[in-house]
Amino acid sequence: MQVQDLYLTNPLIKKKWQAFLTDCGITDFSENEVAKIDETIGIYDGETLVATGSIAGQVIKYVAVCQKGVTNGSRFNTILTELINRLMQRGIYHIFVFTKPKYVTSFEHVGFEKLAGTTKGVLLESGRPNINDYLSDIPHVVSSYDKKIAAIVMNANPFTLGHRYLIEKAAKENDSVYVFVVSQDASLFTTTERVKLVSAGVADLSNVTIVNGGDYMVSYTTFPAYFMQSADDVIAYQTTLDARLFKEKIAPELNITRRYLGSEPLSHTTNIYNQTLQRELTDNIAVSVVPRKESSTGQVISATTVRQAIATNQVKLIANMLPKTTMDFIKENMAVLQDRIKKGQKIHGN
Amino acid sequence: MAQQAERLRRTMMFVPGNNPAMVKDAGIYGADSIMFDLEDAVSMSEKDAARYLVYEALQTVDYGDAELVVRINGLDTPYYETDIKIMVKAGVDVIRLPKVESADMMLQLEALIADAEKEFGHEVGSTNIMAAIESAEGVLNAYEIAKSSKRMIGIALSAEDYTTDMKTHRYADGQELLFARNMILHAARAAGIAAFDTVFTNMDDEEGFYRETKLIHQLGFDGKSLVNPRQIEMVNKVYQPTKQEIENAQNVVAAIAQAHAKGSGVISMNGQMVDRPVVLRAERVMRLAKAAHLVDEEGNNIEE
Amino acid sequence: MEINKTAIAGTLESSDVQIMISKGTSGIQFEVESDVEKQFGDQIRQTVTDVLRQYDVKNADVKIVDKGALDMVIKARTIAAVQRALDIVDQPKWEVL
Repeated sequence: MQVQDLYLTNPLIKKKWQAFLTDCGITDFSENEVAKIDETIGIYDGETLVATGSIAGQVIKYVAVCQKGVTNGSRFNTILTELINRLMQRGIYHIFVFTKPKYVTSFEHVGFEKLAGTTKGVLLESGRPNINDYLSDIPHVVSSYDKKIAAIVMNANPFTLGHRYLIEKAAKENDSVYVFVVSQDASLFTTTERVKLVSAGVADLSNVTIVNGGDYMVSYTTFPAYFMQSADDVIAYQTTLDARLFKEKIAPELNITRRYLGSEPLSHTTNIYNQTLQRELTDNIAVSVVPRKESSTGQVISATTVRQAIATNQVKLIANMLPKTTMDFIKENMAVLQDRIKKGQKIHGN
Repeated sequence: MAQQAERLRRTMMFVPGNNPAMVKDAGIYGADSIMFDLEDAVSMSEKDAARYLVYEALQTVDYGDAELVVRINGLDTPYYETDIKIMVKAGVDVIRLPKVESADMMLQLEALIADAEKEFGHEVGSTNIMAAIESAEGVLNAYEIAKSSKRMIGIALSAEDYTTDMKTHRYADGQELLFARNMILHAARAAGIAAFDTVFTNMDDEEGFYRETKLIHQLGFDGKSLVNPRQIEMVNKVYQPTKQEIENAQNVVAAIAQAHAKGSGVISMNGQMVDRPVVLRAERVMRLAKAAHLVDEEGNNIEE
Repeated sequence: MEINKTAIAGTLESSDVQIMISKGTSGIQFEVESDVEKQFGDQIRQTVTDVLRQYDVKNADVKIVDKGALDMVIKARTIAAVQRALDIVDQPKWEVL
């Protein structure tokens, strides 16, 4: 059983590949998805493609196998072995896969562990560092069982007085607050900058812990729709996975019982995300939706507005939306930030 | 270790060196030689893993009487020297070098093997070697390659690369290989070593496989390289001696016994002197007949 | 020897075993996925532990996905994985073989 490279740049091969996947019930060939593929492999039986799989970043995708005429699972295992080995060679030791519920067992048999799932798809991971490593690296609140512990997830691109208001409120109402900062470096402000500005902005709140969201909280891997235009059903699916992952894996380990959300008048995706969280979490975790804070002049405080002001060189207009720490940083780095925008960094969306 | 001067080498079965299922079962099909492949069957990223797998298999798996061969990576690869060391340490019977074009290549291999034998405390000379010929140059130098070393047990044609080098490809009738087959065969016979024919890869063409096997049997090859265990029985069938051949051979054996009994150095049969080639052929026929279970260990016919 | 790099060896095919070794902090920690874990789990762990000991590896996280591998396969795959994790692929440790 010889594994071959499938070069999707060749239209004939791509057509064969797409037809085979379609036969197997995989039909999403949107540009968003296909463009992310780094490598594709396949197994042929004579001229016929009988198995395939792809790598996109740290995600295994587009796995389909025809079982006809071979021992059950042997082609699947061959494809998976090759994909895992190729990921390892790329230095990627932590791997995700999204798959249909009926294939979960196949992946579990080759060492994957389920993180979260919906009827539409299930997210599994393999390799290290895994979710247990991630969670054990987060400082745990001592004798947490009788404490009120809350969580907030934010991109903070950049950190505004709106974010500050949300955290401050949570910090007052709880014994301890985890602030998870989205880890993907896909925003105008880099991850390091965002984390730094959040930390600086809440330095006076002793019961707040800043944590990198890693691969598990609104990550590019599990929730790509947060970072790019996507259809509503895709957003609904990804946000549900994100919510269930939080509810089933993250919150119990850290004894989180409340999640704080900022109300979302401006972002469509975040709005759906908030609705999903309210629907999914409520049984175990109280969800507090905090209305958006308005600035002293009555404007809704929004990081999007801040980024626009940077692009149009009008930061004075947003001075009342930002803590001094963020404002100072923007002033100092104005040229760099504007340069990033010029070079194509998108400032809309999140 | 099989160190007989002449042994049957009808079938040399290729086993991908990184496939545990095939490595562990390689002994059950009755191939005369088993060739563990570290070269083409193993991707670059798995060369190390395949070596350890073959090494461990050679330490632990019982392959019966089969001659154990390892095809190492070529002289021009970064894997060559480590392949040699590990396989010498493993105590493999034969190291097969691919893409051989000159006697020098075999001498270089021999020197590295000797070093490794010393390093790991093996008797110097205990590891045999064979060459695979895969180019026009290799074919033209077949004779010097075949007699390059006392360790040489055989020389094999590898047609895939050879036909590419010849700007052709393989055809069903094998015309494109005629010259190479004859060169290799003559080189082997002149040097007194075995000649192996190339693999036949189309598993669906049973008729073509028989045609090719009959051809190389007719030419005089010792046997054939195989990629699928199913082909072993087919080759053995072609190499099975006829009743008439066995009877003749039995007569020769009887004549030898008689001469021994008489204390005579001259073997005669039907009033003629039996010379050495006839004796050798009779011995070979009897070995083939035994292997095909047509006669028992004593050389007597097994009743059907 | 200190494991600083995650490495994997072996395949998920029948009769094989896939062994992943990564940095560990508290001895040799195992995670074993095998249909024969009940009967052979301890033996699998023992074989891997023996190889790791020969490389003087004291701390490592080892994940094993076993597909019915013989002991000799487990040993061969562990050797390959350790050599990779220690970045010594080109220098076989002869005394381990």
